[in-house]
Amino acid sequence: MKSLMVLACAVALPGIALAADHGPVFGYATPVNSQRELSFDTGIFGRNGSLGTQFSTASGFGYGVTPHITLNAFLPGTFGTGSFPESRIFPTGEWSAGASWRFQHSVTSVGKRIESTASLAAVVPGPQTDTGVLATLHRAPGVAGTLATGLASRSQYAWVGGGYTRFAEASHDRRPDTISWSGVYGYRPASLRRGYDQWDYRGFAEFTGEHTGNVRTNGAILPNSSTTTLWLGPSVLAIFKNIAISGGVQGPVFRDESDTTYGRERIRFALNFSYLKYSAHTSSH
Amino acid sequence: MKKIITAAILALIPLAARAEYEQVNLTVFGMDCAPCAHAIHVSMKGIQGVNTVDVDLNTGLVTIKLTPGNSAAILQFNQAVEKNGFTHKDAAIVARGKLTGIPSAPFFEVAGTQDRFALVPAATAVDIASLLGKTVTIAGTLPQVSKGKIPDTLRYNTITEVR
Repeated sequence: MKSLMVLACAVALPGIALAADHGPVFGYATPVNSQRELSFDTGIFGRNGSLGTQFSTASGFGYGVTPHITLNAFLPGTFGTGSFPESRIFPTGEWSAGASWRFQHSVTSVGKRIESTASLAAVVPGPQTDTGVLATLHRAPGVAGTLATGLASRSQYAWVGGGYTRFAEASHDRRPDTISWSGVYGYRPASLRRGYDQWDYRGFAEFTGEHTGNVRTNGAILPNSSTTTLWLGPSVLAIFKNIAISGGVQGPVFRDESDTTYGRERIRFALNFSYLKYSAHTSSH
Repeated sequence: MKKIITAAILALIPLAARAEYEQVNLTVFGMDCAPCAHAIHVSMKGIQGVNTVDVDLNTGLVTIKLTPGNSAAILQFNQAVEKNGFTHKDAAIVARGKLTGIPSAPFFEVAGTQDRFALVPAATAVDIASLLGKTVTIAGTLPQVSKGKIPDTLRYNTITEVR
């Protein structure tokens, strides 16, 4: 019954490519749920700029249909002011649901695996209106696709990924298409490669970037509405059995965006909590 | 007095004839973090008859001890690994079962399961002929097989008759 409810939820609602629980807090990563594993993520994400501050409370659900396919739903809520570009790295006001498929999975040795995961999600406007330039737009659903590949091991992690989101037009308005990408390196020191009944820590360096296309309003392109930004910063992931807490902060390393349209975005931060419910179900022989 | 002795003998008969896995040491590849190990722990504990599970992330070794009278099959342990997206390698087992077949082609059957393995010596061969048809305890290694399958052979280290 629980599985059916989660499945119904995932189909009825639409998925952001925000990585959490096993991986980095900002960037794309490959882990998916175990079969019958239920995961719940919630966190607070913020970005601050010269035109204000925006917060998102992000809640995500995942359910492992098979060891390599996970259905997920993501329901962020936003509050605060500010005028920021569209983002798919940072949770905004769109709700999403979709599926992630780990299509390549190479287990090479104890504690190490190389894998690739693709995700596809439907994105729909959430109940809250945006702030800033995007607040005046009529909103329409969109589709988001992501691809991530990388290595996980007892000592090091490395993932690269990218995503593309395209929105439909609504009343001659259209949110900007978004191309996003990330590179993540993680490290667990030898002294922290401990037993699973102790806290498991690892640190990441997360590099992310986004290019947003032009905003279309009333059938016309809004001048200076396209942006390209690059972000870099550290994050830490702490896990105890089935509970994970991660936090990170990023600062801009490159900004090509209009200060008058969006202001100067200075900092992004995230704090995420994950709960993983594993299934003890096994088939009888 | 005779009744008590008879009852004691009757109580011991099923014990002697019992067949089951006593311990399974499974090497698992791909576990990098605590939730991976926790997932394996939860899955293994979900198998009826599993008493204790210990997971060593640095060696990938999953040590499973089972309760007497269990009917767990090797496929269940493999599936518990596969459902979490990992790969199982060789499994060292200690199991009780019956020796069948012929001296030149002996088999080991774990009653209560469909597990039946052709026996090959890991090192020194044991005099199988005298043990055929008897209940024995075997310590040995089941080699890695592809997903969803169980090994055909058991490389034994020791075989001892259960008296």
